[in-house]
Amino acid sequence: MIKVLREPLLLIILLLVFLGLGFFVLYPMASVLTYPGLQDFLSVPKNPRYLRAIYNTFIMVMLSTSSAIIVGFLFAYTFTRTNVPLKKILRIISLLPLFSPPFMISFSYILMFGRNGLISYTLLGHRFDIIGWHGLWLSETIAFFPLAALIMEGVLQSIPPSLEYAGRNLGATGLKLFRTITLPLARPGVAGAALLVAIYVLADFGNPIMIAGSFTVLPTEAWARVSGWGDVTGAAVLTSILLMPAFLFFLFQRYWVGKRQYTTITGKVTLMDIPPTKWYIRWSLFIFCTIFSLLILCIFFGLIAGAFTKGWGFDYTPTLKHWQHVFSYSKPLTNSLYFALIAALVSSSFAMVSAYLVCRKKFIARRALDFAAILPAAIPGVFFGIGYSLSFNTPPLDLYGTSLIIIFSMIFWNIPIGYQTAYGGFQQIASSLGEAASNLGAGSLRIFWDIELPLLKSAYISAFIVSYIRAVTTLSVIIFLVTSTNIVATFQILNLVNDGFIGQGAALTTALLLLTFLILGCARFLFGRKIELFRI
Amino acid sequence: MRDIHIKIRNLTKRFGDVVALDKVSLEIERGSFATFLGPSGCGKTTTLRLLAGFYSADEGEIFFGDRCVNEVPSHKRNATMVFQDYALFPHMTIFENVSYGLKIMKLQTKEIEERVEKTLKFLGLEGLRDRTPGMISGGQQQRAALARALIMEPEVLLLDEPLSNLDAKLRVNIRAELRQIQKSLGITTVYVTHDQEEALAISDSIAVMNKGKVVQFGPPWEIYYRPKNTFVADFVGVANFIRGKVSEITSQNIFVNIEDQTLSLMNHQYQVSTGQRVVLNIRPETILMSKQIPESHSNVLSGKIKTHTFVGQFIRYWVTSGRREFIVDLHDPSSIGILNGDVYLQLPSSKLHLLPAED
Repeated sequence: MIKVLREPLLLIILLLVFLGLGFFVLYPMASVLTYPGLQDFLSVPKNPRYLRAIYNTFIMVMLSTSSAIIVGFLFAYTFTRTNVPLKKILRIISLLPLFSPPFMISFSYILMFGRNGLISYTLLGHRFDIIGWHGLWLSETIAFFPLAALIMEGVLQSIPPSLEYAGRNLGATGLKLFRTITLPLARPGVAGAALLVAIYVLADFGNPIMIAGSFTVLPTEAWARVSGWGDVTGAAVLTSILLMPAFLFFLFQRYWVGKRQYTTITGKVTLMDIPPTKWYIRWSLFIFCTIFSLLILCIFFGLIAGAFTKGWGFDYTPTLKHWQHVFSYSKPLTNSLYFALIAALVSSSFAMVSAYLVCRKKFIARRALDFAAILPAAIPGVFFGIGYSLSFNTPPLDLYGTSLIIIFSMIFWNIPIGYQTAYGGFQQIASSLGEAASNLGAGSLRIFWDIELPLLKSAYISAFIVSYIRAVTTLSVIIFLVTSTNIVATFQILNLVNDGFIGQGAALTTALLLLTFLILGCARFLFGRKIELFRI
Repeated sequence: MRDIHIKIRNLTKRFGDVVALDKVSLEIERGSFATFLGPSGCGKTTTLRLLAGFYSADEGEIFFGDRCVNEVPSHKRNATMVFQDYALFPHMTIFENVSYGLKIMKLQTKEIEERVEKTLKFLGLEGLRDRTPGMISGGQQQRAALARALIMEPEVLLLDEPLSNLDAKLRVNIRAELRQIQKSLGITTVYVTHDQEEALAISDSIAVMNKGKVVQFGPPWEIYYRPKNTFVADFVGVANFIRGKVSEITSQNIFVNIEDQTLSLMNHQYQVSTGQRVVLNIRPETILMSKQIPESHSNVLSGKIKTHTFVGQFIRYWVTSGRREFIVDLHDPSSIGILNGDVYLQLPSSKLHLLPAED
């Protein structure tokens, strides 16, 4: 503390960071939790709609998490331990859902497999209805298995190949090796991935609102309370209930599993030849991965086809009229772009400074700052959104209907992304570099500017891109905050689909997707291949 | 009169419950090369980091000359450091690395150019100014790190095991080079190492540390031949210990009873009294060993060679004598060949050193 006090500028920054996190993370949280009275919480068991939403949420967390983890693990295993054909292409395809708005998957599956679906009805002649829990299950599995695969790939890579070679050397092969060596070593990593995916499934709003129909889960029920009945109290109660498991999973993931995992994940990836896998295992995995990759490609195909089709399900004449609409009413799209760009810029900068303070400075409440900076990762988007609508639609800070309320929500919801990336970056920079600079006469800020910032450039850009993608594709956070003046693309898409303008919705989603890949392309072009995205 | 440059007084540093440094006091002369030597965790690096200002002291003071630097932050101490991992900034060229401190001092570009040029030339790094640290060898990195520290014309130069990442041959060469540079510039230098051979070779004075305390501080010769206790004797070089009891003290000699026999050693003003339990120490290379019984019968023990190892410049023997075991180094093995069987050991009375017995 004494050291910080000696540098007044640093002290001011520290106070600003605390103030920012306190006012834009903790205060909205407190607003939601204290908005309903105790009575409102106690009457939850008497409300059958609430109970059903809780039950449905529980079921979906179990189903979708398990399937996403199993699919994710098989993908990760295939990529790290076997030589299947087309490995590189399969891997790139498997990552695509990470770059798309979550509801896009459900939307596209309705187009492909719904009552008027291209595959289900037009090609196969079935009036198969994908709307409901099974459609949601499929969508969430596809939406979240890439995340699981990415984490578990890291886990599997961090297991030193020498251990598996040692196992082989002692006579274990095939399934026995997998069961006695690989799997036990991967277990903490798998548990960590499962908890993280569970948080995503819990908080998922886009998929259920599109595809679940009358099968309500907590986030959609909360939205229904507000949009249907104007019942903010009910929504606050429901999202508070949602927060509890999310928060628990988060704590468990970070402080129990995360710790056990961290030491192995940071270890250098040792490259060693992959020992051959039996042909039938290799081909089973290949077929499995191909099927899921095709399911992913389906999403993009359905969407793009929808954007250029006159009347989905009955008139497949190509047309550009949906695009005329997108361009004639481009406000949601430009808003999305601007808001997300500003939010990502501020968010990753704020996160970078916070990580710097936590990693490099000693002060009171350092751990509190660390916690506050990663806390939003545990907060479901709808909870965050309601928090903002309760806190910032009234004085002292009345931002109702402004761009600022959306931008602020995007900034602080994404802080953990930048924070964790920067934190990892700081850990990798030997502390002796900062000491060396200090030793040569550089003060704190000079060290940050001359040494740490240049070395963290790629981490910063990765954080910026991921924050941007999350901001531009989010629906859950902004749904309680948008009005006609600050409308964004994701919300507009939801309206279009609800009102039956399928083609326009598809065109706008495609445009949104283009914006995402545009930024991604720019970053690749400007900064080359150093940028690592989604390093968990 | 001695010109004291660095004065450390009752310096104490704790990390939580662990006392890393326990009331350390010592004085380092201006322009000298002082080394902190000890096993890992002894507090030597902590001392160095306190001098650099990376840690703040819990108790005690550090003086550079008359100035107490306790409250002076690291970037204003003018005590530059060479780090164990060199800590060269990976995103800067060698020129940018070396000139970094001068830029912070806001010197004129022209002056910076000149000084960097001079320093790089001095250290034989002329051709490397535009390379980044990743593109040069370990030895060159080591020199670049030294250049970056020296260019600041520091009041005090701090070196944190700077040679430990180099291979053995290079280490010996750079060691000599480093000592040469330090002597020619006359910078007061504090060096930290766990390598006793390095410490002996390079220093004007050595502070042997153990468990957060300075056990002995003195010139290398004294540390090696007149260790204050068994820890220092054992840590620096190889020691043969012989337990015994003082039987007689004269102005010239001290006689020590070791079970079956009495050994005599020269009396270097040892503070002992008759009847006191003591430990005698003798270095392996000072023991005389022969197959024939020596002409002078004093301080002669008979023994039997247990095993040996050939190291090149000498042979090391393990010799059992009664219940004791001695390590004896014989130089120039080519002329005698390898001995075995029964031998006689003679312990010259001038080479025996007396230590207090420890419990």
